[in-house]
Amino acid sequence: MVNVRPSLTTRIGQLELAYPTLMGSGCYGTGEEFAPFADLRKIGAIVLKSVTRLPRLGNPMPRIVHTSAGMLNAIGLQNPGIEWYLERELPKYSGRPCKLVGSVAGFSIDDYAYVTQRLAARSEIAAIELNVSCPNVASEGETFGCDPGLTARVVRAARAGTDKTLIVKLSPNVTDICAVAREAEAAGADALAVINTVRGMAIDVEAWHPRLANVSGGLSGPAIRPVAVLAVYEVAQAVKIPIVGQGGIETVTDALEFFLAGASAISIGTANFTDPRVPERIVAELEAYLARRGCASIDAIVGKANVGFATPHQYEGDEG
Amino acid sequence: MATTDHTAAVHETTVLERHELAAGVIHLSLDAPQLAGATRPGQYVMAIPPSAQTAATALAVYEAEGKRASLLFFVTGKRTRELAELRCGDRLDVVGPLGNGFQCMNNARDVAIVAGGVGIASVLLCARELLRDGARVRLFYGARTAELLVEAQRFADAGCELVLTTDDGSAGERGFITDALERARKPEAIYACGPTPMLRTVARIATELRIPAQLALEETFGCGIGGCWGCVVPLAGHSSQAPSFPPAVRGGSDVVYARICREGPVFLADELRW
Repeated sequence: MVNVRPSLTTRIGQLELAYPTLMGSGCYGTGEEFAPFADLRKIGAIVLKSVTRLPRLGNPMPRIVHTSAGMLNAIGLQNPGIEWYLERELPKYSGRPCKLVGSVAGFSIDDYAYVTQRLAARSEIAAIELNVSCPNVASEGETFGCDPGLTARVVRAARAGTDKTLIVKLSPNVTDICAVAREAEAAGADALAVINTVRGMAIDVEAWHPRLANVSGGLSGPAIRPVAVLAVYEVAQAVKIPIVGQGGIETVTDALEFFLAGASAISIGTANFTDPRVPERIVAELEAYLARRGCASIDAIVGKANVGFATPHQYEGDEG
Repeated sequence: MATTDHTAAVHETTVLERHELAAGVIHLSLDAPQLAGATRPGQYVMAIPPSAQTAATALAVYEAEGKRASLLFFVTGKRTRELAELRCGDRLDVVGPLGNGFQCMNNARDVAIVAGGVGIASVLLCARELLRDGARVRLFYGARTAELLVEAQRFADAGCELVLTTDDGSAGERGFITDALERARKPEAIYACGPTPMLRTVARIATELRIPAQLALEETFGCGIGGCWGCVVPLAGHSSQAPSFPPAVRGGSDVVYARICREGPVFLADELRW
């Protein structure tokens, strides 16, 4: 038997990735910040920080609180607005050795349509992620992602403006994430990013005030990983489009859970704050795992979480 | 401010020496020749937790000479406690040097360095560079107690004149170090690092005296290298350190949020809008 290196390439819609690893939006800057410490050739894509139609100052400080097994953030979509971004920021990113996914946030259906169309028209951008699930912008941001009907309208509006791959980032802060996932798929999404951060709060018990200026924030890190794995597992059975799994991935074992749950690719966010070498390490260890298990490609393990059951098992959710 | 040095890297270092200077005050010397050679005054590293169980911790580079770079920090929580448990011979990986540090060459002949608590860790390299440049350097150094007034002698040995204060009067004068600064002879320039309330007072004093002040800000970081925008401070839009943003009008003046980790951590006091 010839020993062939397992293939880590994957496809998310039309987005072809050399590695099944994305760097989470808002966690990896423009890539330039991390370039001295991480080999950008060894990652699939960077999801850039979300951009909105108009400039946003962002939330006041404090914006970050470290918590048990994770952190809360409430940055508030600080960004220079789409016009400035296209003119002055994006050209600087053209030499990146990995794919770039643009992230779009908005406060109306029209915002999403406009910013998606403008951003997707640029050659630097390989795909678009629709951030319909930012928990940190005074109720408005997450409203879209928490309502299946509104999610569908955002996706249809964005879809009309581009043929490039559209990834819809889903919020876990919903009663039924599968309902939102199905609506996004029906409206033309090419892929789903599962999950965004989980809403949370921390309180300073001496000063008697919230530790984030925004009061609430988005919880990330290993604390949310089991929440994310289940969401991926359930969404994978509700839709046919590929899933980018994310939420607290720090090691190859964490990453494997997501692939087995049904993710075609993973996204790494907060773990970059612990050690910028994490993405490269995960890729190397994924390859070793696939070789050890005799798998020719990463695709071979996607959604195989139930294969290990001794008897056929039908997952019926948590109902009853 | 000095511009970011592009020699930043991940350094796999070994702990050469560990000293507990006072209860919960740790000085770690690392075998890190490249880091030592690249670090400028006021720069910091992100220390990668050996357990990989928490986010990395931002720590000022205290000393940098030959093959040795050192870190001086207070144990304030889970992350610093883990670092405090390191022993000689243990490995510690650090990312750095990071940030835009102090610009020490400004032709001022009579300068004041103001340090509050653990802020002392950010100013030794600055003091040495100013002294080497021939400046007269007064260190205004305040802490809660005499025991926590660590490393003062090292600054005296380097050639600084010391003005010390403690909250409880157990060493130096009783009171805030900024009160001592206000009473002292007017310096030509100020360099400062410490808690935010102290830095705000230093900024006010510098404004009143019409002298330049460079402030090294402390904040909770997310990534510590500019990727997350979690540590920001309002900065005048015209500042040379302002990030690329259209001037967002707030309160009638142009203000943008700059990253303390990336555009800073050292800012000119008169450009902060905090």
